[in-house]
Amino acid sequence: MSGVQQGPGQNTWSRRALLQRGGAAALGAALLPRFGWSAAATSPPQDAVSPAAHLLRRTGWGLREGDLEALTQLGVEGYLEQQLNPATLPDPQVDAFLGRNEVLLGDERALHAAAERDYGGLLELARWARLYRAAYSTRGLFERTVEVWTDHFNVPIPDLLAQKIVDDREVVRAHAFGRFGDLLLASAQSPAMLLYLNNASSDKEYPNENYARELLELHTLGVDGGYTERDVKETARALTGWTLHEGFPGRFYFDAARHDTDEKVVLGRTLAAGRGIEDGLEVLDLLAHHPATARRVALKLARAFVSDDPPEALLSDLAGVFGRTGGDLRAVLRALFASSAFWASAGLKFRRPLEHLVASLRALAPALTVHRAGRPHLIWALEGLGQAPYSWFPPDGYPQTGEAWLSTGGLLGRWNLALTLAHAGEGWLEGVELDLGALLPGAATVGDWVERAARRLTGAPLADADHALLVRFVSRGDDPQAPLNPEQRAETAAGLVGLLLASPQFAWA
Amino acid sequence: MNRREMLGGLVGGGVAWLGGALTELPLLVFAEGEAPPADVLVVVFQRGGVDGLSLVAPYGEGRAYYDPRPSTALPEPGRGRGALHDLDGFFGLHPRLEGLMGPFQAGHLAVVHATGSPDPSRSHFDAMESLERGTPGSKRTPTGWVARHLESTPWTNPSPFRAVGMGSFVQSALRGPVPAMSLRSIAEFHLVGREEQLGALQRTLAGLYGGGVNGGDAELSRLLAAGAGETLRTVTAVSKLAAEAYTPAHGAQYPDSPFGWSLREVAQLIKADVGLEVACVDAGGWDTHESQGGAEGWLAELIGDFGAGLGAFYTDLQDEMARVVVVSMSEFGRRVQENASGGTDHGRGNAMLLLGGGVRGGVYARWPGLYPDALDEGDLAVTTDYRDVLGEVLLKRLGNRSLGRVFPGYTPSLGEILEVRRA
Repeated sequence: MSGVQQGPGQNTWSRRALLQRGGAAALGAALLPRFGWSAAATSPPQDAVSPAAHLLRRTGWGLREGDLEALTQLGVEGYLEQQLNPATLPDPQVDAFLGRNEVLLGDERALHAAAERDYGGLLELARWARLYRAAYSTRGLFERTVEVWTDHFNVPIPDLLAQKIVDDREVVRAHAFGRFGDLLLASAQSPAMLLYLNNASSDKEYPNENYARELLELHTLGVDGGYTERDVKETARALTGWTLHEGFPGRFYFDAARHDTDEKVVLGRTLAAGRGIEDGLEVLDLLAHHPATARRVALKLARAFVSDDPPEALLSDLAGVFGRTGGDLRAVLRALFASSAFWASAGLKFRRPLEHLVASLRALAPALTVHRAGRPHLIWALEGLGQAPYSWFPPDGYPQTGEAWLSTGGLLGRWNLALTLAHAGEGWLEGVELDLGALLPGAATVGDWVERAARRLTGAPLADADHALLVRFVSRGDDPQAPLNPEQRAETAAGLVGLLLASPQFAWA
Repeated sequence: MNRREMLGGLVGGGVAWLGGALTELPLLVFAEGEAPPADVLVVVFQRGGVDGLSLVAPYGEGRAYYDPRPSTALPEPGRGRGALHDLDGFFGLHPRLEGLMGPFQAGHLAVVHATGSPDPSRSHFDAMESLERGTPGSKRTPTGWVARHLESTPWTNPSPFRAVGMGSFVQSALRGPVPAMSLRSIAEFHLVGREEQLGALQRTLAGLYGGGVNGGDAELSRLLAAGAGETLRTVTAVSKLAAEAYTPAHGAQYPDSPFGWSLREVAQLIKADVGLEVACVDAGGWDTHESQGGAEGWLAELIGDFGAGLGAFYTDLQDEMARVVVVSMSEFGRRVQENASGGTDHGRGNAMLLLGGGVRGGVYARWPGLYPDALDEGDLAVTTDYRDVLGEVLLKRLGNRSLGRVFPGYTPSLGEILEVRRA
């Protein structure tokens, strides 16, 4: 999958190249063989996968109107640096949202009390917040990275509502752009994780191996990372006493009385007898810096941001950066977005349901408004598609690869969500409004109207055959030059929008 | 609509194939023989933790049953209106389950009491997932027990209706490599759009997905094109079913409720011979923490709906019941002692019901009793693992010998609740 030749770390997409249509088209042409376009099937459009659109899609949640223009202003490097330093990037809509929903910023006591008062309401809000931030945050890459770590350190929310809200804030968000070792330690001490994987009840009499096992298998080394059953047991012993203060919901507390102080050996490292919390800290530190962990983190990030089957060269590069920087997650991301593998991977990721919905919301913005009454409908739709936020039960998190999401029920559900959103202007979706007229201003001909709609929603022109299909849908005829009359526009605008959001073009990113 | 052979080579290659009406539906393909070797299995999950002690009350316990339940206990059989229907002199069926007494007397209804899971979780989410994945205590199992059953059968069945989850999303029991359709309703299984545009929407989508490689990754986009074609074919097939007005047989009257509608649709799918093997149906709302009621009230209404649905299903499918088995289960039972709000809290042991032609009717239980020392922290103890019941269904009625694959790490001890199905 090494397409265009570039040195690692070199950023060749200058502002000039992006501004020049010729430049982008030339790049597009160079990348075409990667995409398996067969000339017989459709005629591949020249700049269907412009590098700018590709970068925006992968570092965010789908193109919104004005995004491409903003990127050309900033240039790729400027854009990436901004995204990697979210604190420097104002995020007014999300700030306002959090201001209206301060409960989400409360400590575990306040959240627990809120959950007691109105469990359903708080659960809906937590899930909606995830959607909202994905759809409206300016810090798209941060939100995408938060998603990766949310899945990686998965904790399902329904039984641990207050704890998971705290975990999201103080573990995942606090360290998503930090050092992996800090993220790992925060997770190990998170009440949500301590309860979910039972380490809170692990003690020297009856060490509970559940967390220790997932720590090694899922969070760090990986199943082939070279650890043994013995290592799992010893790790569990090292983490005895890592529990909660004052019980449920509580805070992390190291209970020395429950800690197994005998000597332990984990991955060849001897942990001397007579120590306390140091045992666990040392094991976590060892794991955080282990080469197998570096590989696993590289794989997780490459799968999220590049492709389901990332090339070996990329993985070893990223693992190398991880190792050299002591687990600096931003450094790894910088290397990832500079890699040739990344730039050759446009259109290779099949969008998961959450991303598909959020991308739809972004594509329809600002013509789309979601009121409070609309929230449960969107969350419910995601539930139907199998990706309601924080609802994955096992500890491995929502699958990253496309084939896990390619089910027939899932497709119909996805198409119907797209069509329902598109008809929101007709009141089809309670609490959601769509101004189709603002979204799709008129055009002189059917062909133009269809073309503009496609560019507006998918950020790319249509292949000829697809253009013809949509022209036929709008006009029941085959002439793209036919004038667009107001009846056609009124009759077919919603259907056209729905079809574009349901189309394969929108399914890939 | 009857069985026809699915045309091989039906791929979504453009718009043309939709022009020809799709009347053919997939045929069950078996490793041996022509007749289906298995009952249709209908799994009913009562979500919320149904109070098994009210569904099938152990009135024979006397004070041990009546004292802790001042407002929720049911009157002994014969004690006028709202009394239990006697089953065997010890257990009685809830008064609102009168529709199931016919099947019971015909020997087609079995109750297995004090069943449950070794996982003591009394958390809804945890317990439901645990039961449906079939590996209590382990959070790691990515597949459901029904999916593993379908994966381990000795026959194949390419029908898109092979496994259907009634409701908006596929139940965890169906989660797995065998595709399962989630069907909110037959009437709704279509693209949404304006009535007059549905055909055009469908044709356009078929064209957009059928035009060859549609995305960057060749392998995945082939899968996507195939999946899209499959989905649209299924939409067409279901729309034909929807177009036929369905009249339940023998005057069966399904309750006008989500549970009633789901069962009615399952009955329609069974009769239409579309290759249905397993349907998962949810009955919701059983979490009666307060004002549960006894012969009347909240729980009674739920039970009434439940019984009416199952009764109508049994009546409707009369002739077919010999090849159908319905099993009900719930994530846990409820406590023996009522709480201060006239309700009951989460418990353990529960009652499972089985309904079908292959059932040996009766009440089955290794009954531990309700005296305090027999209880599990105040709850009815679990003396029969729910997998023993499901395992017996799978082996005797569904012909699946690979129980070790369905329930890894567990060997079901089988009872005598069911007759072995004759081919």
